[in-house]
Amino acid sequence: MITVSSLTKKYGARVAVHDLSFEVAAGRVTGFVGPNGAGKSTTMRMMVGLARPDRGETTYRQVRYADMAQPARVVGTVLDARSMHPGRTARNHLAAAAALASLPARRVEEVLNEVGLESAADQRTGGFSLGMRQRLALAGALLGEPEVLLLDEPSNGLDPDGIRWLRNSLSTFADNGGTVFVSSHLIAELAMFADDLIVLGAGRLLAAEPVATTLARGESTVSVRTSQAAELGRLLHRHGIAVESAGSHLSVRGATTAAVSQIAFDNRIQIIEITETRRSLEEILLDMTGASAEFAAA
Amino acid sequence: MTITATIQPTSVRPRPLTRHRTDDVAALPAAFRSEWIKLRSLRSTPGLLGAVMVIGVLLSWIIATFVKTDPDTHLRFTIGQTFIFSSWLTTVLAVVMGTLLFTSEVQHGTLASAVTTQPARWVIVAAKAAVGSILGLAMGVLGMAAGFGGAVIGGLEAGDTSGSLATAGWGVLLTALAPILGLGIGMIIRHSAGAVTTVLVWALVIENLIKGFAPPNFSRFLPFSAATGLLGIKSAGDSAETMAAALSRVQDAFLFSAYIAVAIAIGTALLYRTDAN
Repeated sequence: MITVSSLTKKYGARVAVHDLSFEVAAGRVTGFVGPNGAGKSTTMRMMVGLARPDRGETTYRQVRYADMAQPARVVGTVLDARSMHPGRTARNHLAAAAALASLPARRVEEVLNEVGLESAADQRTGGFSLGMRQRLALAGALLGEPEVLLLDEPSNGLDPDGIRWLRNSLSTFADNGGTVFVSSHLIAELAMFADDLIVLGAGRLLAAEPVATTLARGESTVSVRTSQAAELGRLLHRHGIAVESAGSHLSVRGATTAAVSQIAFDNRIQIIEITETRRSLEEILLDMTGASAEFAAA
Repeated sequence: MTITATIQPTSVRPRPLTRHRTDDVAALPAAFRSEWIKLRSLRSTPGLLGAVMVIGVLLSWIIATFVKTDPDTHLRFTIGQTFIFSSWLTTVLAVVMGTLLFTSEVQHGTLASAVTTQPARWVIVAAKAAVGSILGLAMGVLGMAAGFGGAVIGGLEAGDTSGSLATAGWGVLLTALAPILGLGIGMIIRHSAGAVTTVLVWALVIENLIKGFAPPNFSRFLPFSAATGLLGIKSAGDSAETMAAALSRVQDAFLFSAYIAVAIAIGTALLYRTDAN
């Protein structure tokens, strides 16, 4: 389990991360989301001692990262997939990392195999695609057979097959008892395999909850097509249900398909078509973080 | 193609071991192995050794073929004098190599992986210093051997070789120490182009300008003056006053080491204080 307590980081007058506290449970995949500039990468860098917090700390089962004797055996990290010397082969890149962590050389071959890079092991990383770099970075994180994986945007540059492979791998890792803490801007992708979410906006914690709880925040919308739209609209309004109409179409919020159908049936109104649309996780998160977004499209 | 690493449930995993000072010291050989792998896995390392040899041969051969006589004594150069001449350039290259040991890690983002794997950052500095020193030593030996070869090819006579062994020893010590000075400079500047430019401009331009204006009692304390003194090379046009003010080789060695100690101390302090990229 990871415990983040009161983490604060300032760059001059700008507060990048403000009094951030949350826990990441073992055996689950926890997504770390927020708009650009929300402080996700800064937080992750502080969690592994790359950036010095002005206040607060992160512990892994009560031990601070900097106090660990062999951190690579506890936490596997991918913070930037571009971090490799272009003139060094994948095998040598991992061999140097394994040596520094006092890990056996056989782990290099094992992780190359696990991430599917065995055929490219002797190629210089300068010729790697971003997807191959992501795999190699992940291989580096797995070298120490860690119990925690801390990954910043690991699906960047992966093709659909690679993304599916990553999703399945991380889920399996968590199912086996590992802790996965993964940031991603591909929220729809994250929704497919994350169990919990930590939502950050402008350096502050907006939510720390199971994905199901976040999804429940989203109201469903019932779309109705009927030749008696005006009459049905009045009836729904009388029941305290918000309705927007456009010709023969009604858009109903705060009611289920069953409730709308029942009101129409009781009043002999014929429905031609009725569908219920749930808001996506992406839409819900955009609403949550919208006010705190540092950069937004016009 | 799935991640098959066996993860024990947290409940049965032992609590992460905490680090002690003895763990840091015990981690030194591992850090050294890692740096050694990094060094030997790049094409630039044999390229650098090759460049040192080419410079050694060419410089001695040019002196033997075109310069021929010492401008001060008007005596013909000998192998005993000439073999060491390229070591000053080797020293400059060794300092540059030392800066790149650190700045290339910053440039390629690999410093972050290193310091997350080994939170005791001084261990990484010590390993880089040791590996750089070994490469610097190899550069020194090969440069001198090449200088010797170039002088022989140029047809020089052996001359007085009684002090050659001592000169070679001081020269190798210098080229072995030079990368550590570069490492310190690299840790302070943290940028490859900036660090290399600083070293080259200082060694080739600024020190010569200072020597031109400042009294010998001051300029003898400059870092590359100490390097020249260690090699026992007399610059053409050195005045009697300059010769009289020159430090002994032992003093030059201590002076050069003092520059290294200051650069490494500042660099290591910055490495701990600055966020790693």
